Amino acid sequence: MAAVVSVKDLRKRYRRRDPLAVDGVSFEVEAGQAFGLLGPNGAGKTSIVKMIAGLIRPDGGELAIFGAPPGDPAARTQLGFAPEDPDFPKFLRASEVLDYFARLLGVDEDDRKRRIPETLAFAGLDGEKRQIRQYSKGMKQRLGIAQAILGRPKLLILDEPTADLDPLGRRDVRALIERLKGSGVAILLNSHLLSEVELVCDTVAIMAKGRVLKEGTMSEVVPQGSNLEDVFVQLVEANQPPKDHMPTFITDKGPTA
Amino acid sequence: MKSLAVARYTIVEMSRRRLLIVFFAIGAVGIAGLGILLKAFSSAFVGNVRVSGPGDFEGPTPEQLTRLTELSFVNDLIAVLGIFALLIAFAIGMTAIYHDLESGSIVGIFSKPVSRLEFAVGKVVAAAVGMIVVVGLLGVEARLVMYLFGGGLEDALWWETLAAVANAVTLMLIVLALSAWVNNIVAAIIAFIYNGAAGIVVMLHQQMTNGGVLADNQVLHVGLTILYWLVPHALISSAPREIAHQELEILNSTAPGGANFDQAFSGIPGPSGAADIIWWAFVVAVLFGLVYLAVRRRQV
Repeated sequence: MAAVVSVKDLRKRYRRRDPLAVDGVSFEVEAGQAFGLLGPNGAGKTSIVKMIAGLIRPDGGELAIFGAPPGDPAARTQLGFAPEDPDFPKFLRASEVLDYFARLLGVDEDDRKRRIPETLAFAGLDGEKRQIRQYSKGMKQRLGIAQAILGRPKLLILDEPTADLDPLGRRDVRALIERLKGSGVAILLNSHLLSEVELVCDTVAIMAKGRVLKEGTMSEVVPQGSNLEDVFVQLVEANQPPKDHMPTFITDKGPTA
Repeated sequence: MKSLAVARYTIVEMSRRRLLIVFFAIGAVGIAGLGILLKAFSSAFVGNVRVSGPGDFEGPTPEQLTRLTELSFVNDLIAVLGIFALLIAFAIGMTAIYHDLESGSIVGIFSKPVSRLEFAVGKVVAAAVGMIVVVGLLGVEARLVMYLFGGGLEDALWWETLAAVANAVTLMLIVLALSAWVNNIVAAIIAFIYNGAAGIVVMLHQQMTNGGVLADNQVLHVGLTILYWLVPHALISSAPREIAHQELEILNSTAPGGANFDQAFSGIPGPSGAADIIWWAFVVAVLFGLVYLAVRRRQV
């Protein structure tokens, strides 16, 4: 089966003096597969998904979605991207944002009339008349996921999709991922919530400092009797110098300020 | 079609921004206030004034004074329109692209199958439409105020409104392009300085071509000519000359011995010709290219 996403020896450096943000990363995601990209802050996960979405340019390596470069408009028609900490034109309403994005996706009027109310209902934003600038972070996150599925994507990239959601919202996103996987959509999930990744992903890659430390199916990465969080902590700590994370002042005996 | 979607929702956003509404309101109140004040002033004083001088000098008649006040009113209207067109250029230029970049909403937009060219076209079309609508409405208001007050230069006012929009579009494109590279405040400051410097270059060049003091210096001549063709040239309608012409006619007829004001008249710039309009179109095309380049290079 042809890979939906193909990443080979991908590299990205933001400034000349900075270390590589992404350093020789390779992986593939196939249709109907949920791929989890894990790593501590600054591991390079968001850089990778932004390169796949065609938002930033790689400095080296090969990258293809549906066999085409990420900048290819036809390939991007099949892509849904829910960014981390999403934001939208702040003077528009949710229905207007979805109409705007549906037009960019080339969705015709009849389909827009059907899909937008359904998508708003899924996101719990139906009947919401306020402008985006009055939204909470959680509402923006739900709208971020809503706009990502609007074009019926064959590849859905979710970058920290549940970070600002309440437990019900998280449950809905999990159900969405399962439903889409079942219908053959490839999912690329970038998340810190390891328990969630463990529930929905078939394959994972654990990254640190721009490199993939371990990649494989869930059973290959997580040995029996262990869990993803333990594996993640062991791998990441083995790749960075040990340090005492606790500030000393919190245990000082003296007057509190 | 995708450019139209970008343009459509940029216009919706613009129409809900307070800054643009505030500028429009101030402009509308300013124009109305100017008209009403001058009307009140001329009704109360000008009609009763009789000017006379030594010997056989007879100053302007009350009718001529009323006419001079009317002309001064049109002159002020044109100045107010020009200033507000520039303010609106800054208001639109500083927000149309920059707010999408700064808020992060550009990430959602650029992940859709829209090319950077389509995005840039949509933004520039929206900005231009916004500018035309706002300045056009102020122009319509100025025209209505002229019904109240008179002036007799209605056509000239329309051409001047058009010239003000054209000049403001140039400035707006500079701000738009810069705001995709740097902070929008910095972009506005750079554009303001550049616009001022360009105005000085054009003014000095005009003085030089009119045979002023600069015409004798060959080095300055060449330098100014090169600079002149590196900056946008503000388009000018026939209004300033028409107003000056009518004012000078009145003053000529009342001056003792028919003083000659032709020298003063030659210093007033005439309406822009085909070459100026072609140059403006070329500059707009170059500036649009810069907007596109800035958007294309932008990583989000």
